[in-house]
Parts: sequence; structure tokens; C-alpha cells
Amino acid sequence: MPSIKHRGWAERLSCEISAAWAIAKKDMRIDYLKPNIIVSGIFFPLFMFLAFALGKNTPPGTLIPGLISITLLFSASSIEPVSIPIERRVKTFERLLAAPISLNSLVSGESLSGFLYSLGIACLPLAVGIFIFGTPIVHAPALVISMILTAFCFATLGTLFAAYPTENVGEVMSILNTVRLPLIFISGVFIPISAMPQIGQNIALISPLTYGNDMIEYAYTGKSLFSPVLDIAALVIFILIFQITANYLYKKFNE
Amino acid sequence: MQAIEVSHLIKKFGSLTALNDISFSVGEGETFGFLGPNGAGKTTTIRILTGVSRPTSGTAAIFGHDIERDKIAARQSMGIVSENSNVYDDLTAWQNMIFSAELYHVGRKEREEKANELLRKFELYDRRDDKVRGFSKGMKRRLTLAIGLVNSPRLLFLDEPTSGLDVQSNLIIRDVISDLVLEGVTVFLTTHNIEEANVMCDRVAIINKGSIVAIDAPEALKKTIQSVQSIEFSFEHNSANQLDELSHLPMVNEAQKAGDKFKLYTEDPSEVINAVVDYAQMNKLKIVSIATLGPSLEDVFIRLTGLQRGEGIHAID
Repeated sequence: MPSIKHRGWAERLSCEISAAWAIAKKDMRIDYLKPNIIVSGIFFPLFMFLAFALGKNTPPGTLIPGLISITLLFSASSIEPVSIPIERRVKTFERLLAAPISLNSLVSGESLSGFLYSLGIACLPLAVGIFIFGTPIVHAPALVISMILTAFCFATLGTLFAAYPTENVGEVMSILNTVRLPLIFISGVFIPISAMPQIGQNIALISPLTYGNDMIEYAYTGKSLFSPVLDIAALVIFILIFQITANYLYKKFNE
Repeated sequence: MQAIEVSHLIKKFGSLTALNDISFSVGEGETFGFLGPNGAGKTTTIRILTGVSRPTSGTAAIFGHDIERDKIAARQSMGIVSENSNVYDDLTAWQNMIFSAELYHVGRKEREEKANELLRKFELYDRRDDKVRGFSKGMKRRLTLAIGLVNSPRLLFLDEPTSGLDVQSNLIIRDVISDLVLEGVTVFLTTHNIEEANVMCDRVAIINKGSIVAIDAPEALKKTIQSVQSIEFSFEHNSANQLDELSHLPMVNEAQKAGDKFKLYTEDPSEVINAVVDYAQMNKLKIVSIATLGPSLEDVFIRLTGLQRGEGIHAID
């Protein structure tokens, strides 16, 4: 059997992409296509959003960008922190770690499934906005790009937190939620960033949700705090940081 | 080229030294047993050889590929069958096979052919579309082994392949391993069943407290402790209180009762045979069978690891 080292880089890349896709398919079959996961993916962000948004004197259609943002945040980052500790417990994760693939492919494959799941779930508030409230989309390409980048960013964040070396799902989720829940309050989803005190505005700059939500707002309203180019650049930088950190942690924790 | 080449491997976890400068090699086509008590360093060694864990110092190479620098090429030529039957319960047997083949970059046509062939060989073909959740322990074990072979590995890591299995699964797995050996596949075997290692392995290494204490062919190892011989016999009417009396016969170092047989360890078998015959006559017992036995691989294992019989001999991992 020819070793991968002696194959061309293009073939090697193809192998890595195929392996990442195989991991994503496996996750979708095992975790994401279960009815309870889909239902919780839809209702958890919806109820959380309604809890904070109801009572505000604003037309319901204007709430759609925020609902899409937190749906992407919660659905993309929720499943890997559950599935990876379970895979550690039943020792199937060891199978992935010992496979002839790079850690990059492993992390990307795990994130890819969360990304696809999240995009699918986020289509529901998008459809509600279009077909029920008639919420206009000003820049459709910006919406597509922002949803893709935001979903991938938070899917990678979920995979990053799942690197914590435990077989206990609760441990990972508690750590993740201490980061994830504050994000929705400091990222302009409920309170515009411009209306926050200076310290809040400064903290908002280090939240990836700020840029994802800002660009989704831009897609719906044509207005945004930052330019769409800056939002895209920030999200790409966050994805790279999460990916590199996840690679490092999976390697470190398995030594 | 050696299938496995390990040189001065050291692994430390904080102040604990899990592997203390171990070196060994495994030739291509060889069946190599790796035995040791709990916590001896077997799992750590396998994790390093499969590239899951990194050594503190030293090197390991698989078919010439350094497991640190050329990890992916090294892994491509190996199959791994872990002790835990780590298959996905929520996938079907077929999906498990195909997923693993995809991870090992087996082409589409080849992986389907291989999955069909292996599921038939392991008598799982009729259940290929069933979720693994409903499989018995033996079926899961067979599937784990089938998955480990899906990339046609040149080197197979087998961790406790037949531990706790039903007879049918045990026979199938042993037959397949025998076939693999005939095909020239190198097998690195860890097992609780020392007799299994004795029968299957060309050479065995015994690891204890992070160091390899012996490495040789099973028969060569047995020759090193010829002083540990035993007499195995059975009376027509056995009783448990005979064991205590037999253990006090002259030249008997240790006495055991297993089923309807007694086993007396000694350095002088002829003297003990005479004593047993005298004991039988004195107690009006009829000897049904009697045989002298040389040292077993288990005896070697116990001698080298310092374990006591009955406390962990069958609980090594």
C-alpha cells in the first residue's frame, strides 16, 4: 500500500477532506438527525429569545436577525461538547485519534457537522421572517456569508470546548455556558452595542457573536456598526484562533 | 525492515515513570505477544506505537516510518483492535465498516468489496443493516476486528481479542488471526490469556513496572525456569481438605486444585510422585490420572513479575 507521504499533496488534501467529511456524516447520523436534537435545537434558542425580547415595543419582524444570531450560536456549539465526551466514554474517540488523518481534519470534521446542523436549524427563523412577518432582506449575499461564517465559528468553538479531557458531558457544558451565555448580552443581540457603557463596548469587541450579529443586521437593515468586510475578517480570525487552539488542546490533552 | 522498532522509549506522567527506557523490535510477519500485569505499561506502549500518545524521549517506528515525524504514513499501514469493542452503537455494522474505511482512505469500490468480504468472514453479513446497539458482545468484538482489517493492514494491534467471548466468536476470531499470520500480517497481541499467547506468538515480551523483563520465544522462556515443574493428578474421589494435606508433602512448593485435578509445584517431580502414591495408598484413594508438566508461560510470567498465583494472573491488561 503506498504511504500517504509518497502521494502528491493534492491527493493528501483530498484524503483529509474525505476523512473530515466522513466524520461529519458519522456525527450527523448519530447525533444531529435525532428528532429530540432537532427539536431542542429549534426550541432552546427560540424560548431564550422570547424570554428576553417579548414585551419590547418593537415589530416582531425586527427580532428575526437577533433570533438567527442566537440560533446559530446555540445550535452550532451545542452538540460536539455532548457527543465528544460520550465518544471518549465509549472509547470510539480513540478510534478517531488513531486514524491516519491530521488533527486538523478531525477538528474540522467534528465542526463541519455542527456547522451544517446549525445552518439547517437557522433556516427556520429565516423562513419565519420571510413567510410570516415578511421581514425584508436587504443584502442576501451578506446574509448567506454571515450565516455561514457565524455557524462555522461557533461550531469550531463547540469543538474547542469539547477538547477538555473529560467523559462527563456536564463538565464541558458548564464551562461552555459560562462563556456562551454572557455572549448574547454583550454582542448587540438584545442591547445595541452603541447603547452600552464604554466597558461593555470594549468587551463586545472580543465576542465573535458581535461580528456575526452585526453582519446579519446589515443583511436585514443595511445598517451596521462595523463594515461587512471587518465583520468577515473578524469572524475568519476567530475561526482560525478556535481551530488552532482546538488542534493544540486535542494534541496536548492526549499526551 | 522491521514492522516495529522501539528504541529507548521513556514515558513520564509527572513524577511517575510509565515506561522506563524500553527497546524491542518486531519482525515483519511475526506474531508478538506483549504481556504484563495491571499498570505495567502495556497500554502506554500501544498508545505511543499507534501515535495517540507522545513519548517523553526515545523513538518508535512502524515499517520505517517514525511515529512522531511520519505519523500518518505509519498509521496507514496498521489496524487497531482495541479491548473495548469501540464501535458506534447507533450506526449499522455496514456504516461502521464504511466509516472506518473512509478514515483509512480506502477507495469507494475497494471499501465496499472489503466490507462485504469481512462481514461474511466474521459471520455478520446477514446483520449488516442492523444497528450495532442490538449486537451481542461477541458480535461487537467480531465487528471490531473486521473494522481493524478494513484497510488491509500490514500490522495489526490486537488488544485482548478473545477476552470473555462466546465459543463461536472465539473460534472465528482465532481462525481469522491464524489466516492473517499465514498471509504475512504482523500481529502485536496483548492478552489476559497467557495460554493464548503461548499458542499464538512467535515471541513474547513481558513488561513489568515500565521495564521489559524478558523477551524471547515462549519455549525459550520456559527453559529459563525449568526448576518450576509440576505434577497434575486426579483421585477417584476428590475433596477440598486433601489440598491442605497435599501441600504439606515433602518437596511441594505450592498446591492448587482446579476442577477434579490437583497440581503440585516442585523442583523434584519424581520425589513428589512417590509421595503422592504413598498418600493415596495410606488414604485408600485410587489415582485416576497423573502427569508431570514442565513450566508454563504463566509460570514464567509469575516468576518474572513477582505476582502471586491467584492474585491477578488473569487480571493483567
